[in-house]
Amino acid sequence: MKARAVKAIMRKDITAISSNIQLWLPMLIVPLIFSVVLPSILILSARFANMSKAGNLEAILDLLSKLPAGTLRDKMLSFDTIEQQLVFFTANYLFAPFFLLIPLMSASIIGANSFAGEKERKTMESLLFAPLDLPSLFGAKILAAFMPSILLTIFCSLCYGIIVNVFAYPLFGTVIFPQGNWLVLLGWVTPALSLGAILLNVFISAKVKGFQEAYQLGGVVILPLLALIIGQITGLLLVDSFFLWCFGTALVLLDLYLFKRVERYFNRQQLFTSQVR
Amino acid sequence: MAKEILRFENVTKAYSTTPVINNLSFSVYKGEILGLLGPNGAGKTTTIRLTSGVIYPDTGRITLAGYDPVTQGDEVRKRCGVLTESAGLYEQMTALDNLLFFAELYAVDAPRQRALELLATFGLAAVAGQKVQTFSTGMKKRLGIAKALLHRPEVLFLDEPTTGLDPEGTRDLLNYIKELNRTEQVTILLATHLLKQVQNLCHRFLFLDEGRLLEAGSFSELETKYLRTIKLQVETDLEVEGEHFAGYPLVGREPGVLHFQLPGKAEIPLLLKAILQNAAVYAVAIDGRDLETLYFKVREAKK
Repeated sequence: MKARAVKAIMRKDITAISSNIQLWLPMLIVPLIFSVVLPSILILSARFANMSKAGNLEAILDLLSKLPAGTLRDKMLSFDTIEQQLVFFTANYLFAPFFLLIPLMSASIIGANSFAGEKERKTMESLLFAPLDLPSLFGAKILAAFMPSILLTIFCSLCYGIIVNVFAYPLFGTVIFPQGNWLVLLGWVTPALSLGAILLNVFISAKVKGFQEAYQLGGVVILPLLALIIGQITGLLLVDSFFLWCFGTALVLLDLYLFKRVERYFNRQQLFTSQVR
Repeated sequence: MAKEILRFENVTKAYSTTPVINNLSFSVYKGEILGLLGPNGAGKTTTIRLTSGVIYPDTGRITLAGYDPVTQGDEVRKRCGVLTESAGLYEQMTALDNLLFFAELYAVDAPRQRALELLATFGLAAVAGQKVQTFSTGMKKRLGIAKALLHRPEVLFLDEPTTGLDPEGTRDLLNYIKELNRTEQVTILLATHLLKQVQNLCHRFLFLDEGRLLEAGSFSELETKYLRTIKLQVETDLEVEGEHFAGYPLVGREPGVLHFQLPGKAEIPLLLKAILQNAAVYAVAIDGRDLETLYFKVREAKK
């Protein structure tokens, strides 16, 4: 790996993202709705509206009563009011999928822009004509897509944590977020999932003509696949952090496999003929 | 004799089943400006890509400065600069940022100083901070060459460098190429089908067609080989009756101008001497003495 070239490519890609408002604005607005607006509405509604008179709570209460025996069930049963149960459960579990979607969405957009964008702008050939080994090129591009998506997730998680704890404090008298599972989710599962999305985008970019096509194909192929994974992870959140560790490890192994495929699949000639029209 | 810097030995290359380079062999010597000539699809761009090691030959061997582009690609690419037809620049970045970025990829020492020096050389210093998307085609081409020269390459590949340039831009660019070759002894391979532009620039020419080498040589070598008869245009007040004068066939006439066909250059003074004994001569020119004529002669002879 050539550190100087890797740094230059990363700096260029990240600058390109930050200077393209059409790219980063949607990536910021949607996560902020998930991490700031929705939790604020939910917790304040729970605090100031009479939940016992609210409708449609049966489904959630039914779910809570069917929780498997363990720490979560004990925790839920320790609360005095339905508001506390509802806020705790929603804040720590129901919002979790959003925090998997945020890095996934941003990694897909940045990944599509990074690889297919070079092809579209006819700049990939300039990179391939340079004395730059392919692991350095791929490493830089993957890191340049990975880092902003992880930073965005951390930023949104911090916002979410502050909102939840500030608004829910009067209800509990203590901080309720994050529970241990979240740390595993954000620290282990989310990075692995983001990396997977970026690596899949590398393959997609080789097949398409430009960013829009890569992004659309990513939406059709990657997102449903990963939505399935997210569903499974959310279920695991309810059980035990051990399963989350295992799931994250499986994703890391999948990423390693994909990375090896990327390395093997692209020699310079294959990359050149697929990327340069 | 100058040192050989690039060698193709029986190189073939096909995309899927379509052959694009067909048993191509040639050498390029240090300090040469070599014109790669041929119609679209002749294999000019593929030759440049093969030499840079971004695509690999199916058979045969290529060496650049002793390195194999397939197995020692980065060593080859360190020594090459490439200007592609599209220039390959980042439109959203400024001219200076583009050069600084590529300087990092090529591990250039004192990158800012080198970038500023090249921007000044190519008349782009005043727009160094402007985004490339605001540039004209000519400015982009100049910046593309500056990019290709950042790491002081031994060999420069120029693929259709004057496409999209106005006459002034073309003249400036060709002058710069000539100057670069003269002052820094950079070997230059120039792929083009704009023959008139490179006639006086290149030391030698390779004529390609369908991936095959039709002919190679300097202008005078090719002229000697292919222009077996000369058409001489003479501006004179000589009156000629019949189809011959002094034994030379008259192949055309206009008011005040006669066109003769001669077997070779050596006959020119003899003809002129004969005319001058009878009339005045105001101007003399050899018809069709250009690369374009040679190009068609070569193609006609080889196809």
